[in-house]
Amino acid sequence: MFLSLSSITKRFGAVAALNDVSLAIGEGEFVCFLGPSGCGKTTLLRVIAGLETPDAGEVMLNGKSLVDVPARLRNFGIVFQSYSLFPNMSVARNIGYGLECRKWRREAIAPRVAEVLDLVHLSDQADKYPHQLSGGQQQRVALARALAPGPAVLLLDEPLSALDAKVREDLRGEIKDLQTALGITTIMVTHDQHEAMEMADRIVVMNAGVIEQVGSAGDLYDRPVNRFVAEFIGRMNLLPMSSAGLDADASGTADDPFIGVRPEHIELVDPGAPHPGALLGRIEKCIFLGSFTRITLALGERALVLELRGRRTDLQAGGTLAVRIPVHAIHRLRDAAP
Amino acid sequence: MTDAALGALRRLPRPDADRLALIGLTALVVLPLIAFVVVPLFGIFRMSFATPDGFGLGNYVRYIQSPKFSKVVGNSLSVSLTTTFITVVLAYAFAFAMRRTAMPGKRIFGAVALLPLFAPSLVQALGIVFLFGRNGVVNRTFDLGIDIYGFWGIVISDVFYSFPHAYLILSAALAIADARLYESAKVLGATSARMFRDITLPSTKYGLLSATFVVFTIVITDFGNPMVIGGDFNVLATEIYNQVSGQGNFEMGAVIGMILLVPAGLAVVVEKWIMRRHQATITERSTPLQVERERLRDAAGFVCAVTICGLIVLIVAIVFIASFVTLWPYNLHLSLRHYRFEVQNGLAPLWTSIWVSLLAAIIGVVATVTAACVVRRLDNLAGQVLYFVSILPAAVPGMVLGLGYILAFNDPKSPLEVLYGTFLILAICNVYHYHAQGFLIATTSINQISRVFDEASTSLGGGFLRTLRSVTLPIISASIISVGVFFFVRSMVTLSAVIFLVTPMTQVAAVSVLLLDDAGNQNQAAAFSVCIMLVVAAALVLFQATLRLTGHKDVALMR
Repeated sequence: MFLSLSSITKRFGAVAALNDVSLAIGEGEFVCFLGPSGCGKTTLLRVIAGLETPDAGEVMLNGKSLVDVPARLRNFGIVFQSYSLFPNMSVARNIGYGLECRKWRREAIAPRVAEVLDLVHLSDQADKYPHQLSGGQQQRVALARALAPGPAVLLLDEPLSALDAKVREDLRGEIKDLQTALGITTIMVTHDQHEAMEMADRIVVMNAGVIEQVGSAGDLYDRPVNRFVAEFIGRMNLLPMSSAGLDADASGTADDPFIGVRPEHIELVDPGAPHPGALLGRIEKCIFLGSFTRITLALGERALVLELRGRRTDLQAGGTLAVRIPVHAIHRLRDAAP
Repeated sequence: MTDAALGALRRLPRPDADRLALIGLTALVVLPLIAFVVVPLFGIFRMSFATPDGFGLGNYVRYIQSPKFSKVVGNSLSVSLTTTFITVVLAYAFAFAMRRTAMPGKRIFGAVALLPLFAPSLVQALGIVFLFGRNGVVNRTFDLGIDIYGFWGIVISDVFYSFPHAYLILSAALAIADARLYESAKVLGATSARMFRDITLPSTKYGLLSATFVVFTIVITDFGNPMVIGGDFNVLATEIYNQVSGQGNFEMGAVIGMILLVPAGLAVVVEKWIMRRHQATITERSTPLQVERERLRDAAGFVCAVTICGLIVLIVAIVFIASFVTLWPYNLHLSLRHYRFEVQNGLAPLWTSIWVSLLAAIIGVVATVTAACVVRRLDNLAGQVLYFVSILPAAVPGMVLGLGYILAFNDPKSPLEVLYGTFLILAICNVYHYHAQGFLIATTSINQISRVFDEASTSLGGGFLRTLRSVTLPIISASIISVGVFFFVRSMVTLSAVIFLVTPMTQVAAVSVLLLDDAGNQNQAAAFSVCIMLVVAAALVLFQATLRLTGHKDVALMR
């Protein structure tokens, strides 16, 4: 593999930020580390960058161990969350900085700076200073600065999270297009599942210092391996195995104590025509959300969330509704990581 | 891409260069600290135990048993405690008026309050003598027979001398406040007095404690004011001088130095300890307090500020006037005769002071900024040790450091003996006397730089030195200049450490003022003080102009 991590462990005092994490990343791949805050995703990125030293484990690039290679010699480009442009340097000098550090000749630096500035569509901003740019422009300059020396790997540490929603959307596409065009191996840390699903070839879901699951957006959504992934990616109704009213063959084993159902997979049945396994509930909430309507259904002590396409003016809080859960929509879920 | 990447990898400098740079800079910081702080202190420590019969406690026993001992220690403590109490109360009231009232004229008051920082330490005493002394204007005019020499003279002078230090600390403490607390209290029906007692006072208690210990240290180590106005009232700092300069008794001077080191050192240690425990109570979500107009409170604040600033200006003004009249207070005709300086090498000491201060500014900037950079980069136990040693000089009274320098460098066995009697040793002495303060200014501004810049530079291939040169130092350039100005100003006005080190060839201006005053020539002493203050004022104007031209604002000069 192009970049591989084996058994990385990192402790901060008594807290294990990373616990025996292993992962292989192919050349040209776009991988996202996704998880809630404090899950260790940023620490893992910093270990790869060389900004943190792991207590155990090894990072390998092209079969070569990076243990003894300090951050400044790894030739990885990093884009930080925000405000990482040197305030005392112009845009062009910021971008040329990595080239200066590599002792490029002055005549070679200028064209390279112009080239990457063009990549991020900021050719007209070369002589400005960081404080004269918008947040989105600053992050594009930071991206250009990271790309200028031709890094082996591009590392993005929540690069969009400090930006406004609209700018964030635009930049997602822009970064992804750039990554595809350059074919550069990229790792991005994010806590935003939509960002990860839109941009990544593979998503690494992390929680409490361990990897819960690795896979494409489709894999994670359709086949979550455990409760954490199921609830973190999209919405999932969780029911204990013993729930009444389920089709008999959906019952599971002690290993998989939960079953999960996506809200959009729950089907309505005609209350007039009894159906085996139908559930009758009282509508607690009915919320119109544009392309779909979200309904919270009370089933005894339990609540079930379902999402129906379009606007459902026929359903109102207080009314009753009969639903069924198709067998093929049922996920068996473990409690913790496999 | 990969081949290009590996190619780039080869072009980078070897990793050893980075380690070497860090080790080199660390040595550049540590070795002088050892030579110019630790060794002199050890010299005093050794000397205090040196008796004719070998090393022992003889000197201590002899001094502690003498009746003088309890008297001098008692004098020092009573003066310091009284002064500290008065200063902190006045400074709190003044800082409150500045920060929590809507009184007019804050800019002027703020500038005037700092005036004593820019004058030689004995100017306050000189001004008080001109006013209330035996031949002062008050006694001459009203014939009241006030005897100002002694306890109250020292207390009054030192209140003015230490006032700006307390004001700066308390002003910073009162500047931050969370408006939400006050709004909640108001909605709940609290009166102004209750809000002061329940919110303002508790939130500034660390500032109050810090100011108390800082003022105590300044007063107990002050030498200039007690010399001028103390009369027969001896304190520890003047006693060291009397023993060493008057009687040539170095052993006894060392003993008293060690004794003075105890309260001064304790006060500094306690102050640092308190400030470490001080957790920031203001968060990003706090709403800054907007002071609203309130006539009665604002009027009271204004009266308080006018009174305090008026007295500060009065003392400096009296010294100015006395230097320009024929013979204060008998003949008030304007005259420049005191500016002829027909004694004491003429104006030479002023030039010496300027050269020494410029040297101290350069050395001080290099020493303290380098120390701050290294401490930040080390970020481990070694960094903490270095931090401690860097602020250690704050606990060492100037008189003690100066005496230590004689013992360490006026010794043919010392390899650094060549320094003795040069401008350089005076500059170095001033640098390490004020090392802690300069270091803290540099550290504060470096810590305001986000670590992300260091990391960004590192990930782009920048080494430690390049990051410093291209990123860190340019960002804090304004603070670097202010560290230089700080060392220049302190060197111009300080007296206590250099008093032991000056030779006839290297006499500095502040010492000239003391000697002129000692010789009964108060008017010339005043004239010399005015010269010092003018040089300092010129340096400050130049500093402000430089900052304005380079587009910097809000740079702290003193702390």
